[in-house]
Amino acid sequence: MADQSSIFRGRSEPRGIRVWDPLVRIVHWGIALSVLLNGSVNDPDGVVHERIGYAVLGLVVLRLIWGFIGPSTARFSAFPPNPVAALRHLKAILRGDTTVHLSHNPLGALMAYNLWLTLLVICVTGIMMGTIRFFGADWVEELHEAAFDWLMISLVLHVGGVFLDQWRTGVRLVRAMVTGYKNVDRNGPLK
Amino acid sequence: MIGWNTANPRLGEREARRAALMALMIVVQALCAVFFIGDVLLDATEGSADSRWHLAFETVAAIVLCIGTLYFMVELRRLWVRMAQVNAGLRAARGEMFQVIDAFFASWGLTPAERDVALLILKGLDNESIAQIRGTAAGTVRAQSAAIYAKANVDGRAQLLSLFMEELLAGDSGDSDPSEQFKPSVAARSAR
Ligand code: HEM
Repeated sequence: MADQSSIFRGRSEPRGIRVWDPLVRIVHWGIALSVLLNGSVNDPDGVVHERIGYAVLGLVVLRLIWGFIGPSTARFSAFPPNPVAALRHLKAILRGDTTVHLSHNPLGALMAYNLWLTLLVICVTGIMMGTIRFFGADWVEELHEAAFDWLMISLVLHVGGVFLDQWRTGVRLVRAMVTGYKNVDRNGPLK
Repeated sequence: MIGWNTANPRLGEREARRAALMALMIVVQALCAVFFIGDVLLDATEGSADSRWHLAFETVAAIVLCIGTLYFMVELRRLWVRMAQVNAGLRAARGEMFQVIDAFFASWGLTPAERDVALLILKGLDNESIAQIRGTAAGTVRAQSAAIYAKANVDGRAQLLSLFMEELLAGDSGDSDPSEQFKPSVAARSAR
């Protein structure tokens, strides 16, 4: 930015940078609500459980397509699955680096892919349980439940990681997932 | 230091609402598509009482829904990218405005304190408020603004503001403008 005089410095962008489009946000909270309902509220053998399962499948597939054709921060190319980069990011965190990522940071990216994959496994095995061909096959049901347990572990890490990063960088990530805006200092280190 | 916060929160809000509505439509359509496709696949693999025509109809409906959803997704992406561009344009315009103001202040030889006061005057604050913000006496601000008006060669607050308004309105249309008699920039300057 072309602020030469000291008088103009310290200008802050009150609403930050728009990073998450409404589709990303609706899909995220839609999935979160559905997981909450199917994981703890409704009857696992009921029709509602099944319907919500289909809805989650639809939301995840929608998000995955959006990862190819969506705006830049929503696209997979903004947060490629890269364990090496995740390790490097972890080291940078330990060094005290507070570079802000407009999309997911490399660690968060791995978690996002993990969550989507786990959700897909849960949905597919859930649908298989309802088909004649796999009816009563134990391994399907066991996989469905194991994947759900893994999802719960992942969620603890996911939400814990979000709040840890929020505390570490001062960027209010949860609010960004609601409003779409990340409160980012444009003059600070950005990625 | 004093900031210049002109971000208008209402700007682009209409587009944001449109984008949200579009995203909602996309989600609803996608969910419908999933249920249709699920129904078609179950009917096709498990065999059902439904007729062939019924199955064909559902298949077509599912395909149309998918295409519609994809179309809306591309539109939403376009809208979102355009919103970002407008934002960038506004920021650039704002940046240029700072440069213009800064250049004026420099050419008048304002001191740093006077620049702060002048900026607050441009923001529309009265002397009391300026004194409060800067933690000085109202008399000091009055003396500073008098110095600013003198250096800028204007009568007061209103004329100071009009200087920058002219700069905005004059734009690039300058000499290629056929309506020569209407050149506020020149007219106002020669009037002082
Ligand atoms: C069932 C529960 C949840 C699931 C399955 C889930 C899944 C996900 C996924 C897949 C992403 C990537 C989003 C994308 O790129 O589209 C994500 C991001 C995010 N989630 Fe969740 N989430 C859940 C609950 C929550 C909760 C309860 C919170 C808040 C406390 C939360 C806060 C966030 C935030 C802030 C991000 C963005 C992280 C970043 O800025 O990199 N999530 N979540």
